[in-house]
Amino acid sequence: MSTIDATQRIDSALDQWTSGPVAKTLAKFPEQKPQFLTASGKPLERLYTPDARVVDEYRERLGFPGQYPFTRGVQPTMYRGRFWTMRQYAGFATAEESNKRYRYLLQQGTTGLSVAFDLPTQIGYDSDDGMATGEVGKVGVAIDSLADMESLFREIPLDKVSTSMTINSTAAILLAMYIVVAEKQGVKPEQLDGTIQNDILKEYIARGTYRFPPQPSLRLISDIFAYCTEHVPNWNTISISGYHIREAGSTAAEEIGFTLADAICYIETALKAGLKIDDFAPRLAFFFAAHSDVFEEVAKFRAARRLYARIMKERFGATNPKSLMLRFHTQTGGVTLTAQQPDNNVVRVTLQALAAVLGGTQSLHTNSKDEALALPTEDAVTVALRTQQILAHESGVINTIDPLAGSFFVEKLTDELEAEAEELIREIDAHGGMVAAIEQGFVQKRIEQSAYRYGQSIDRGERVIVGVNKFVSHEEPQMDLFEVSESTTQRQLDNLKQVRRRRDAAIVNEALEVVKKTAQGAGNLMPAILAAVRAYATVGEICATLADVFGEYTESYQ
Amino acid sequence: MERSLVQLVCDAKCDGPQSLRSAARLMSIMTDQPQRLAELLANSRDWPQPRLVLGITGAPGSGKSTLTDHLATEFRKRHPQQRLGIVAVDPSSPFTGGALLGDRVRMMRHATDPGVFIRSLASRGRLGGLALGAKGVVRVMGLIGCDVVIVETVGVGQSEVEIAQSADFVMVVLAPGHGDSVQMLKAGLMEAGDMFVVNKADRPGAAQLHQQLLSALQTSWMARLDLAHPASDDVHRAALPSQHPHGTKCDLPPDGRFENDADFPPIFLCSASNHEGVRELADAIEAITARKADDWRAGRHQQALEEIRQAVLEEVRRRVSEVIGANGASAVRTLPVLTGEVSLKNLVDEVMQESVSRASRADRQPGTQ
Amino acid sequence: MSAVRKARLLIGKPGLDGHDRGAKYVAHVLRDAGFEVIYTGIRRSPEQIVDAAIQEDVAAIGLSLLSGAHNVLFPRVVELLRERQAEDIVVFGGGTIPPKDVPKLKALGVAAVFTPGTPAREIVETIDGLLGARQAV
Repeated sequence: MSTIDATQRIDSALDQWTSGPVAKTLAKFPEQKPQFLTASGKPLERLYTPDARVVDEYRERLGFPGQYPFTRGVQPTMYRGRFWTMRQYAGFATAEESNKRYRYLLQQGTTGLSVAFDLPTQIGYDSDDGMATGEVGKVGVAIDSLADMESLFREIPLDKVSTSMTINSTAAILLAMYIVVAEKQGVKPEQLDGTIQNDILKEYIARGTYRFPPQPSLRLISDIFAYCTEHVPNWNTISISGYHIREAGSTAAEEIGFTLADAICYIETALKAGLKIDDFAPRLAFFFAAHSDVFEEVAKFRAARRLYARIMKERFGATNPKSLMLRFHTQTGGVTLTAQQPDNNVVRVTLQALAAVLGGTQSLHTNSKDEALALPTEDAVTVALRTQQILAHESGVINTIDPLAGSFFVEKLTDELEAEAEELIREIDAHGGMVAAIEQGFVQKRIEQSAYRYGQSIDRGERVIVGVNKFVSHEEPQMDLFEVSESTTQRQLDNLKQVRRRRDAAIVNEALEVVKKTAQGAGNLMPAILAAVRAYATVGEICATLADVFGEYTESYQ
Repeated sequence: MERSLVQLVCDAKCDGPQSLRSAARLMSIMTDQPQRLAELLANSRDWPQPRLVLGITGAPGSGKSTLTDHLATEFRKRHPQQRLGIVAVDPSSPFTGGALLGDRVRMMRHATDPGVFIRSLASRGRLGGLALGAKGVVRVMGLIGCDVVIVETVGVGQSEVEIAQSADFVMVVLAPGHGDSVQMLKAGLMEAGDMFVVNKADRPGAAQLHQQLLSALQTSWMARLDLAHPASDDVHRAALPSQHPHGTKCDLPPDGRFENDADFPPIFLCSASNHEGVRELADAIEAITARKADDWRAGRHQQALEEIRQAVLEEVRRRVSEVIGANGASAVRTLPVLTGEVSLKNLVDEVMQESVSRASRADRQPGTQ
Repeated sequence: MSAVRKARLLIGKPGLDGHDRGAKYVAHVLRDAGFEVIYTGIRRSPEQIVDAAIQEDVAAIGLSLLSGAHNVLFPRVVELLRERQAEDIVVFGGGTIPPKDVPKLKALGVAAVFTPGTPAREIVETIDGLLGARQAV
C-alpha cells in the first residue's frame, strides 16, 4: 500500500473523529477559545495527521543532518559530536571592567566571548561627543581607540578564544582594532576565530545603530568580505540577524523571511563587487531569536535552513556544501522577559533555550532574569549560563539529532513557515530589493503592524502573559540590580584625553586623510582603516571622516 | 490662564523668549477654531507675509517628506537670514479622531535650526475646517518671519487637496513603482498641480511614469483649451506642448518651453534621497516666485476678503441658528408662519433682533466669547 | 467646534538606542484613545525634542529610553523646558527603568514613569489624569 493511500485513509478517519466524538464533546464542553494561535498569531489545527510527502519526498525535503537541504541540521553528528557554543553577550562600562567580566565568564565555562559595545561606539561617536551624553558604557563597553581594545582583551589569548562582536555600522573599525590587538599579542590574522555582526540592513529595519546611507554601508560590508576572504579566513564576516527584527515585533515567519531577504541583498552586493559565491558564502552566519512557543520556534529554525539551502543553490548557484548551510546563533527573546515577577523569566528562558537546541542552533545566549529592568548582575548571568549547561548535560535532548522531525505538527508548521517566508522574499523582490523596500518603509511597517497586533492581543487579555495581565501580584520585586557606576563616563573621558595627548597627531591626520581619499574612490577601505586604528585614531574620528564622504542616514516614518 | 489672541500676536512677532511658544499657541487656536482666522488677519494686517507658500502633495511613499526636507535645506542655504516654515498634514483616524503624525521623523535635522519652524497638523476630517486652519497657521508663520512656507499633504483625500490649493503654488510628487501614483493620475488629481516631480527617478519605471504623467497632463490641457477656445482639433494639437522633463537624469537640456507655455505645468525628474535634481527644482521655484509673487500676494488678499465674507456668513448662520433653534426646537418659532399668524418677514426681523441683543448681552458678561 | 478634542502629545526617543517598538506602540495606543500624537523617531537630542514640543504646542512629552541613560536625559528635557519657559508641558517616560530610579525621576519633574508591561489602558488613564480635564478651547 502506498503512503498516499494510507494518508487518505487516515484523513477520512479524521473526518469521522471530528464529526463524531469531537462534535459530541464540543456540544457539551466548548473549547477554551474559538481559535488557538501560535505566539506569532498563526492559527493552529486541533490535531495534525501524517502528510504523505514527509515520507515520499523525504530525501528532498528533510534529508540527513549535514546534507542538503539541511532541514535536520548542518552537522552529521550535531550535539553528539560537540555541544553548541555557550556564548553570553556581555560588556559594560569601561574596557577594564568588561575584561574582568569576560575572564569570570571564561572561568565559569563559557566557550566563546560575545562583546556588547555601548551605543556611541556602535554608532561612531567618541565618548566626549555631545551625542554620547548619558550613553557612555551603558549598554556595553565604551571603545574609543585601540587603547581601549587592548585593555578589553588583556590576558585573553585571541588565538584560543572565539569572539563575537555586536557591531554594525562601525564593524570595519572594531574588526581592525581586534586584528591589531591580536598582532600585538603575536597572533596572526589567519589564526583569529570569531564573528562580527556587520548586518546594517536590519539596523535600518529594526535596531537603529546606522550611521551612513545604505549604499556606502553595503560597500563597507563587501570591503570586509573581500579583505577577510584573503587575510582573516576563519572569521565570520557577517551575522545576518533576525533577532532584532523579532524583538521589534515581527512574527516568526517575518523574522526568517526578512532576514533571508537581507542575506540576498548582501550576497548580490558581494557578487557585484566581483567576489565568487563559494569564496565568501561559507563565512556567512545567521542570528535568530528563540521565543517561548517551542514548536513554532523549532519549525522556524528548520524552515530557515531548508529555504536558505534552496536559495543558495537555485538562485545563486552555490555548489560548496558549506555555502548552502545556514549556521546560526540564537538568543532567547529579550522582549519576552517581564519586569513583573522576574523569577518567572528563568522558566521562559529555559523554554526558549530548549527550542533553540531542538532547532539545531550552533551557539546560544540565554538572557538573564533581570534584563527587563537593567543590565544583568553576575548572579543572574550565572543562572542563565547554568540553564544551558543543564539542557546540555541533564535533559537528554542532545542524544539524538533533530528529535522533533516527523512530528505531524512540526513538519506541517515547518512547511507553512517556509512558504510564508518565501512569499515575503517575493514581495521584497517586487519592491526592487531590500534597500528599496526599506526606503519605502515596507518592512518597518509590516513589523510595526505585527507588533501592534501582538500588543493589542495582550492589552485585550486575549493572550495571557503570566504576571503581567493575569496572575498579577502587587508586591514589588525585591532584587539587587546591576548598575553602571556614575563615574564610568569620567573615567572613559580621562582615558580618551590621555590617548589624544600621547599619540602623534600628524600621523593620525595623515591616516584619516588616507581614509577619506579611499572612501572617495573605490578601493578597499580596510587597509586604510587598519592604518588609522594603529595610529590610535578614534572610532569617532574615523566615522566623522567617512560621514564627510558618505553622508548620514535619516529614518523616515510612514 | 489663556492669553488673548491679540496678546499672542504681539508676543509672537516680538523677538522674545515667548515668541515661538505664542506662535505655536496661535496655530493651535487657528486649527481648533478656524473661524477666528478673520480675527487673526485683522490683528496682523501690517505684518509681513510669506513670499512663497509652496504646496507639496503626493501619494504615500512618493518621497515627498524627503523632498520637503531637502528643499528646506536648499532654501535655508539660499536665504540664511530668513526663517522657513513647514506645515506637514497627515490624516486623522476617522474612528477615534486621533492621529499619529510622523513627518517630523524625516525632518528632525531641522529641529534645532532656529530658522526652521515645523508644525504637524492632523486633517481632522472634512468638518474640521482644516483648509482654513492651515491658512491661519501659514499666516502665523508669516508673523514670525517665515519667508517661505512649505505645506506638505498626502494627496489622497479631497480635504488634503484643498489645503494644498490654499498654497500659492502646488507641486505634485509622484514616484515609480507605486500604484498610488498611477491612481492619482487616474483620479484626476492632476488638476491640482502647478508643477510635477517624478521623484526616485533613478528607479526603474521612471520614464514610463513620466510618459503617463505627460499624457494625463496633455489630456487635461486639451480639456482646458476646449473650455477656453472651442475650436477645431488641429488648433489644439498645435498648441499641445510635448515637454521634456527638467532636472536630473535628463538627457535633453531644459528646452525653455515652460517659459513659452507658461500655463503648462513643468515636469521635473529628481532623486531627493540622492540629492539629485533638488537644486534645479529650487531654481525653478525661485524663478516662478520672482515672476508671480505680486500676483500671489494680490490673490491672497482677494482670498482673505472672500474668507472673511465666508466667516461672516458662517457666524451669522451660527448666531441665528442659536435663536431659531435646531430642528425639533425650531417648530415653536416656525409653526406660526405655517398657520399664518406671523409673516416670514416678521419672523426674520424678530429672530435677527433677538440675535443682536443676545450677542450684546454676552459681550457684557466677562469670561465668555 | 464644540466637540471635545483631546490634547496633542509628542512621543520621542532621546539618546541613542533604536528600540522603538514600545514608543511606536504607545503612540498607536494614544492615537486610538483620540490624542493627536507627534512622533519624532529615534536618536533625538533633548534639545531637538523640546524645540519640537514647543513648535507643536503639545500638552505633554512622552520619552522612551531602553539604554539606561534615562537618569541623565529625562531630567535634561525637564530642565530645557524650564529654560524655555515651557514648564507647563508635562513630561512622562517609559522603558527599561529600574524601580528604584522612578522616585528620583519623579522628584526631578518627570510626572509619570511606565515600565515594561504597563497595560495600555493604564497609560491612557494616567495621561488623561495628568492633563486634567484639559480640553481644546
